[in-house]
Amino acid sequence: MSNDHVSNLMKGHMESLAAEGKRADGRGINEFREVKIEIGMLNTAEGSAMVHLGKTKVLCGIKMLIGTPYGDSPKSGTMTTSTELAPLADQSFDPGPPREQSIELARVVDRGIRESRMIDFEALCIEEGERVWMVYIDLHILDNDGNLFDCCTLAAAAALSNAKIPNVQHGVADEDVDLPVTCWPISCTFGKLGDSVILDATSDEEGVMSARFTVAHDENGNLRAAQKGMNGAFTDAEIREAVKTARASDNVLREALKGIQ
Amino acid sequence: MSEESSSERKLVLPGDLMETKSKPGRGIFRKDGRIHASVVGHSSDKSGYINVNGIKGRYNPKTGDKIVAVCAETGPSIWRMDIGASFNSTLHHSESGWKVPFGDTARFLSIGDAVWAEIFMVDAAGSHQISLKKDDCRKLYSGTIVKINPTNVPRVIGKQGSMITTIREKTQTRIQIGQNGYIWIDGKGDDISLAQKAVEMINEEATSKGLTKKIEKLLEK
Amino acid sequence: MAGQTDMELIKNGVRMDGRKPDELREVKIVAGVLDNADGSCYLEWGNNKVYAGVFGPMECHPRHKQKADRAIVQARYTMAPFSVNDRKRPGLDRRSSEISYIASQAFEKVVMVEEFPKASIRVDMQVVEAHAGTRCAAITAASVALADAGIPMRDMIPACASGKVNDIVVLDLNKEEDNYGQADLPLAIIPSTGEVVLLQLDGHLSPEQFEEAMDLATSGCMDLYDKMRAALENRYGGKK
Repeated sequence: MSNDHVSNLMKGHMESLAAEGKRADGRGINEFREVKIEIGMLNTAEGSAMVHLGKTKVLCGIKMLIGTPYGDSPKSGTMTTSTELAPLADQSFDPGPPREQSIELARVVDRGIRESRMIDFEALCIEEGERVWMVYIDLHILDNDGNLFDCCTLAAAAALSNAKIPNVQHGVADEDVDLPVTCWPISCTFGKLGDSVILDATSDEEGVMSARFTVAHDENGNLRAAQKGMNGAFTDAEIREAVKTARASDNVLREALKGIQ
Repeated sequence: MSEESSSERKLVLPGDLMETKSKPGRGIFRKDGRIHASVVGHSSDKSGYINVNGIKGRYNPKTGDKIVAVCAETGPSIWRMDIGASFNSTLHHSESGWKVPFGDTARFLSIGDAVWAEIFMVDAAGSHQISLKKDDCRKLYSGTIVKINPTNVPRVIGKQGSMITTIREKTQTRIQIGQNGYIWIDGKGDDISLAQKAVEMINEEATSKGLTKKIEKLLEK
Repeated sequence: MAGQTDMELIKNGVRMDGRKPDELREVKIVAGVLDNADGSCYLEWGNNKVYAGVFGPMECHPRHKQKADRAIVQARYTMAPFSVNDRKRPGLDRRSSEISYIASQAFEKVVMVEEFPKASIRVDMQVVEAHAGTRCAAITAASVALADAGIPMRDMIPACASGKVNDIVVLDLNKEEDNYGQADLPLAIIPSTGEVVLLQLDGHLSPEQFEEAMDLATSGCMDLYDKMRAALENRYGGKK
């Protein structure tokens, strides 16, 4: 179904429900939808994962190639994150070059993974200043029912923890080894719906919310990345509360990630 | 509508040859004097016409259909209304029942506002117009709208309206079912949510057996 | 086609992956896998993996592409960066653009475009894993997705390639055969009429081999057609 025209009636209904701490689909305001993670379905990728968050579906493939390190970090591997808002995922996703929306999404996911030091970049050095592994995280959105930020971060984390360094194919060593992963960052994205703040918005909810806030935590409960988006605003108190809520709510996603190990 | 259960009906696929002496109706095409199905659906051959009732697909407006429409665009003397069809429908100010000064349409109906309306004209090129001047047509001020596949509308209504009567009674809501698959539900917040859940379940499990029992169970909670 | 090779791709009538010359790789088709799209399909063909999704008929954008008397089909074929061994740059390259264009035209032959003036039917084909034969896999999946979307059409179009390896005409080339074989002939047909809606060829075939390759690809298409039908019957409650 197209969500181009979310009616004012739906908006009013969802806002008044949220004011009572309820959602149209029966969830509480700080509750994630059902999450399902599958891994290792792609043979051509070094790591892969498919994450279902409610009806939102994201496929992530990890590719690793050999390249030269940046001059200021000769001992570190590199990482690039891209998202493809595939036109089959949503009628409003136009075919064509990536738009700001897609680039913002990729950068927020990238920061969560990078800043948490999930990947040990120094372990990706093959020859200092000469050859390092370049990790490409490509996220393919297949079905958009909202909250691509958290679904993509989860898909990236799952695919990375499933990745093997392709030593054999590139003649680096005799054996492929697991990509060293040190921790799992989890992002939680909130939406401002009327005067309420809700977690894990669906497409319908995104259609009527005024502002978005994403925060990524590592497993020690420290903040690693955050982003406020859309043209509305949160109060200072709402932001502080959301950060606390995120720490209390991200366990379901952590458990789902642990389930694949 | 057909009252047969889904297991008794025959599924046909695009291109399938239909053995019939009846005249061609909906969901079919003629080639070399023979009749073929053009969509995935169930065939029905009665009253001298062969039809294939599509299982999926966007709303195909028909004159006289009652529908829920959402304002997508305003012009100086018209509104463009989303009715879930391939193209937006037009509501001309003269069909609104309001006295609309030129350029003042948004005061009466702005983007996102919803109405209960009737399709009053469909032309050969596929464009269509709606009217608010019939029967109980009006602007909708409260409640919410749930969107389902228009081909599942008969399932939501049920045999002689049995399904929708059950949902209305058990949830204490007012419900109007647009032929376009847009369904208006009004009542208390929690009651709306329960009715919405029932409608969405019918939409997702339209072809499964024992649906009535499942809905009754859902509503007993 | 790389052309001639000394590599032995068929030994005693058996191909490297154990198939006979006229045998398809294993095919799995599931209709209706995506929630947002009007119609969708997931298809595995050997190790190829493809998603297809359809939206429409809907208003055609950009407007100048509208046709006053019919709908247009806007098909788009892309390969994911992780679908091949060396990461592919995202987006449309010349090969993807060509395939998208000829697939659009193939679909316009079967979709009843005259029923929807000025409209567009958007068909998106996403190859997420590629091992030769992805355009055929994509077109086959998209046909199922079109039917799943309830789009009126005269028939569904299966697509299947034949080719030549070690001077033998074979059905459905795998990766090695595609790389080291002598010819590749992807074909899409309308099963009810036998009409050809897509045909490409590269490589080298004698007139006799071409006839044989056409026969083989056509029979491959008919096998696929049964699987496409079964996928839809599976999704919608089947036949009595």
